[in-house]
Amino acid sequence: MKKSIGIASILIAIIVATAILSPNFLTAYNIENLLRRTALFGILSVGVGFVILTAGIDLSIGGVVCLAGILTPYLLTQMGWSPTETVAMIVLMSIAIGVLQGGLVAYGRIQPFLVTLCGLLMFRGIARGITQDQTQGFQGQFQDLRWLGNGRISIPWVEHFAVPAPVLSLVIIAVLSMIFLNRTVWGRWMKALGRNPSAALHSGIPVARLQVLAYAICSLLAGYGGLLFVCDVGSAQPSDFGNFYELYAIAAAVLGGYRLAGGEGSVIGVIIGAAVMQVLRNAITLVPWLPDTAEFAVIGIVILIGVLGDEFLRRYAASRVRTQTKGIS
Amino acid sequence: MIESAPIVRCRGVGKRFAGVQALRGVDLDIRGGEILALIGANGAGKSTLMKILAGVIEHDSGEVHVDGVATRLRGVREAMRAGIALVHQELNLAENLDIASNIALGREPNRWGFLRGRDLNRQAREWMDRVGLEISADHAVESLSIGHRQMVEVAKALSMDARVLILDEPTSSLSMVETRRLLGLIRTLADQGVAVVYITHRLDEVMRCADRAVVLRDGAVTAEFSKTALNRDALVQAMVGTIRQVALAETALSDGAASARGQAAATVRLQVRGLRTMAHPSESIDLSIGKGEIVGLAGIVGAGRTEVLRSIFGIDRRLAGSVEIDGRALRGGRPAHATRAGIALVPEDRQRDGLFAEDSLCVNASIVRIARESMAGFIRTSAERAGVSRMIDLTRISPVRQERMARLFSGGNQQKIVLSKWLMSDPTVFLLDEPSRGVDIGARAEIHALIRESANRGAAVLCAVSDIEELLLLCDRIIVMRDGRITGELSAQDATEESITRLAVHEREECAA
Amino acid sequence: MKRVLSSAVVGCVLVLMVVNGTSCGDAKNSPPRATPRDRQARLVKEHAVNPTAQPRIAFVTNGIAEFWVIAQRGAEQAGVDTGATVTVHMPAEGLADQKRMLEDLLAQGIDGIAVSPIDPTNQVEVLDQVARRTLLITHDSDAPASARLTYIGLDNYDAGRMAGKLVKEALPDGGEIAIFVGRLEQDNARRRRQGAVDEIFGRARDESRVEDPNTPMTVGKYTILNTLTDQFDRAKAKANVEDMMSANPNLACVVGLFTYNPVLALEALRGAGKIGKIKVVGFDEAPETLAGIRDGSVVGTVVQDPYNYGYRSMKLLDALCRGKADALPASGFVDIPAVTITPANVEAFEADLKKTLAGGAEKSAK
Repeated sequence: MKKSIGIASILIAIIVATAILSPNFLTAYNIENLLRRTALFGILSVGVGFVILTAGIDLSIGGVVCLAGILTPYLLTQMGWSPTETVAMIVLMSIAIGVLQGGLVAYGRIQPFLVTLCGLLMFRGIARGITQDQTQGFQGQFQDLRWLGNGRISIPWVEHFAVPAPVLSLVIIAVLSMIFLNRTVWGRWMKALGRNPSAALHSGIPVARLQVLAYAICSLLAGYGGLLFVCDVGSAQPSDFGNFYELYAIAAAVLGGYRLAGGEGSVIGVIIGAAVMQVLRNAITLVPWLPDTAEFAVIGIVILIGVLGDEFLRRYAASRVRTQTKGIS
Repeated sequence: MIESAPIVRCRGVGKRFAGVQALRGVDLDIRGGEILALIGANGAGKSTLMKILAGVIEHDSGEVHVDGVATRLRGVREAMRAGIALVHQELNLAENLDIASNIALGREPNRWGFLRGRDLNRQAREWMDRVGLEISADHAVESLSIGHRQMVEVAKALSMDARVLILDEPTSSLSMVETRRLLGLIRTLADQGVAVVYITHRLDEVMRCADRAVVLRDGAVTAEFSKTALNRDALVQAMVGTIRQVALAETALSDGAASARGQAAATVRLQVRGLRTMAHPSESIDLSIGKGEIVGLAGIVGAGRTEVLRSIFGIDRRLAGSVEIDGRALRGGRPAHATRAGIALVPEDRQRDGLFAEDSLCVNASIVRIARESMAGFIRTSAERAGVSRMIDLTRISPVRQERMARLFSGGNQQKIVLSKWLMSDPTVFLLDEPSRGVDIGARAEIHALIRESANRGAAVLCAVSDIEELLLLCDRIIVMRDGRITGELSAQDATEESITRLAVHEREECAA
Repeated sequence: MKRVLSSAVVGCVLVLMVVNGTSCGDAKNSPPRATPRDRQARLVKEHAVNPTAQPRIAFVTNGIAEFWVIAQRGAEQAGVDTGATVTVHMPAEGLADQKRMLEDLLAQGIDGIAVSPIDPTNQVEVLDQVARRTLLITHDSDAPASARLTYIGLDNYDAGRMAGKLVKEALPDGGEIAIFVGRLEQDNARRRRQGAVDEIFGRARDESRVEDPNTPMTVGKYTILNTLTDQFDRAKAKANVEDMMSANPNLACVVGLFTYNPVLALEALRGAGKIGKIKVVGFDEAPETLAGIRDGSVVGTVVQDPYNYGYRSMKLLDALCRGKADALPASGFVDIPAVTITPANVEAFEADLKKTLAGGAEKSAK
């Protein structure tokens, strides 16, 4: 929790600044939108966090989001599957993708960057092949399933504000992730593996199996995220659905305190990191004098400032620990 | 030898780290042409003192004179200009570069920025010959043994025209032959006028080669011995003080326990048949270890001892052969399988392979045990903490703080943490690779006691140890290896330094040594 | 084939312009951007293949969309009708991908190419290179500065004005308007936007007018707040509409310039409970947009005629390949005008559309 203070203060700073600059920022409607987008991107980011924890990387997220995003309406409308069958298929397919990629990394000893980069291209290609590049939409049906992405959960006695349904998914996923990482043997081992893979191997930890597990969780959440995205948006185009989402997810994880070298990170931090990205994009539209064209520049600068500040704090803390303990050695 | 004026003279040097007085007024003279042994328990302040001299840190009271002039050594470069070089215990080499590039690092012979490879190699060759490194200069450092890396470090220091050469535990990971060669080398260097400061835990080496020995305890000099006055018991006494005389008691303890274990050793616990390792694919290893028996693996660096341990545990692939525990074959070739079968391995390089440095003592100690104690995969936190607490009592890790990060503990305590990790899971087969490397003599005795304790509870212990004194102290039986092959087996009673060395070394090499 | 033609084209009259190109070709009618006739004729002669052989011609789009699938049907039908070998290429990754496709086609020794340039101003060099080596026409989006023989398509500026007219009908008392589009780098997007803006503000036709799309402008009772782009990211497209609603509580009308923009505007409106309260004006014929017109949530949409983009450009290329230089229009422009779809004609339009797509399926089943 302590690790997330840096990023949390950045989030608060951006929120305060935007609230001052735009009177419409703190409206119930806008907050709902922000919560929903943060939840959608947050799910992807929590997933990639597992892989980054083990010092790996997953670039295939955008591809998996695309494949899941177009398969959901495709299976429902073109193939006539039921929502239950469709969701089951998406879940199984996503896990299979993760196991395949994780297996190539852990047992095939191929660099994760390479494996998942190929995955990114492959899954989008498959999506385009299956649909012949046709946009896939729900055609106004399946509102029950789509509730997962665009639904609202009203709060008793609160009239103009409701919690977007994806937030529920994110909360469940985040709680399960935290329990897994902090309360289970495999979670403990996964963190240890990221900290020192060699010591993990020498401690008899099933390193390869844990790596596969991390990729499986990541792809599962990417697939589920893709499903939620298409439920929210209503349709997906194979050629660009989910483009760059892997980078947004990785950026949020790094902003949230994950070290790409592995072993370090918190679920809460990642979610705050995802929120920072979404609030920034929102602020650019809402603040009248911020040019829309500067969007990526602003996001890039803020991420850089965040990571620099975090690194500075980390070094400061480390130097204090060192001076306190140097005498004993 | 003529009593020359000291090159470096310390007067009342003190250093404080946030509340801890690491050095309290140390007086020390370092003279050219002399080998000065600096000894003391872990935490006595040896490393701090040497880091001050090498410009890594600055002292905050007292004076340091170089060539009679009071100076402050700000930074390693300044110390180097004054002719002081420190060879760290944790070697600082660029692993991906070759030997020649490492020796010349930062001072590469070049013309207009272009490297002159031939000069680079020729110069490196000179220094390598001086330290007796008889391998090609274009080997990558990562392919070298720790012993060879040590020599590269010494060569590098010499190449910088060091007048004062500080060696921080240089022999802790060297084999007998390499140790002898290194001791011969520093004698030659001293004869050429270099001042050698030699930090070590090995008292036999001090006895053998030091011209003078200074003992530090709790940041102050407690005793100084001239060559003629060197005396083993007095050294230990000065090091550990009167409170912790564990080291002296160890010899007596080992005799009694060994005979008691003799009976139990009849039942075979670990049986290795036809083991072929990647390092020596043409050699085949057979060995069997009884219940409660402590077997030592002796041999020079590169004899294949580490590879045998790693192959049994599954870090390295077994090319052939079987491992049986209590008559049941070990299935699966990965460390996870070995761990489940009750095998434990304490690796040689504890920083790299043993410790989760950024994790707490608690996490480190319980990492293996939690799997056995879990409920449906969930960690039982209270049971975990209680188990670790019991283990801290047993191993006397200090400070007693479960949440403290592992890297903040001293070397000896870190090694105890790695031992705890396995002791908590009560191994049936306990493999140890240099278990007391880089720990002081008091902690070494404690570690030995823990190993004996584990054997007494029935573990079959196999440990690779380079220090012959330690081998004789710890083991019931000694297996000697050379070039990946078992060349002999000695009982603890029959083994002597001579008999072990003869089996460990080629005839030719023995003559040279 | 007769059925397909008659059903697909609403502004079909202009076929006459192509067939009788020469008769309309007096100098005073031809706009300045037309290439001189004799040069065109020379080019055609140079590149023409044996009239009896089967010319190989290609139809290159500016991306991947349903819109282009309809165009593909038309192009393929033209192949069947003329005997030419027609291939259709859709670049997935923008400018660079399209350039690669054009180069690959040249490498194959293609006889003619019809392309919808993604960035006409900056692609002139590439297009000229193509024009040097084969017969080149543009469709959908023109590149007037290049050496293309002619342009087939709609005038996006005019189409934009049609959308602007819909906005004015929807907001007779004025109000705040926001515009949404994939990207403004594309000439067709820019011209559509300018057309809509000029019509809403009641300005005279001036295609060269350039205004900052992000500066709010007010003329009379209408205010145009902003033009937001999404780079084809659908989640972003939806978020853009949501954010505009957040920032401007008085938003009265949204205009979506690309096919998916009105669809996602509807999604955002539905989420905010503002269906019907905020008017939607769209482009193209996405099923959701048409459904929106039927149930009243969309005011209307401006549709192009992609079928004829494909059909007419392939037909023309085939003729040119066979050396018929007189198939070229004197104006340098084959207009296939857009149509406004409102609740009044949506049913008929949908029926036609279905027939077109089914027609393609029928043919491929053969």
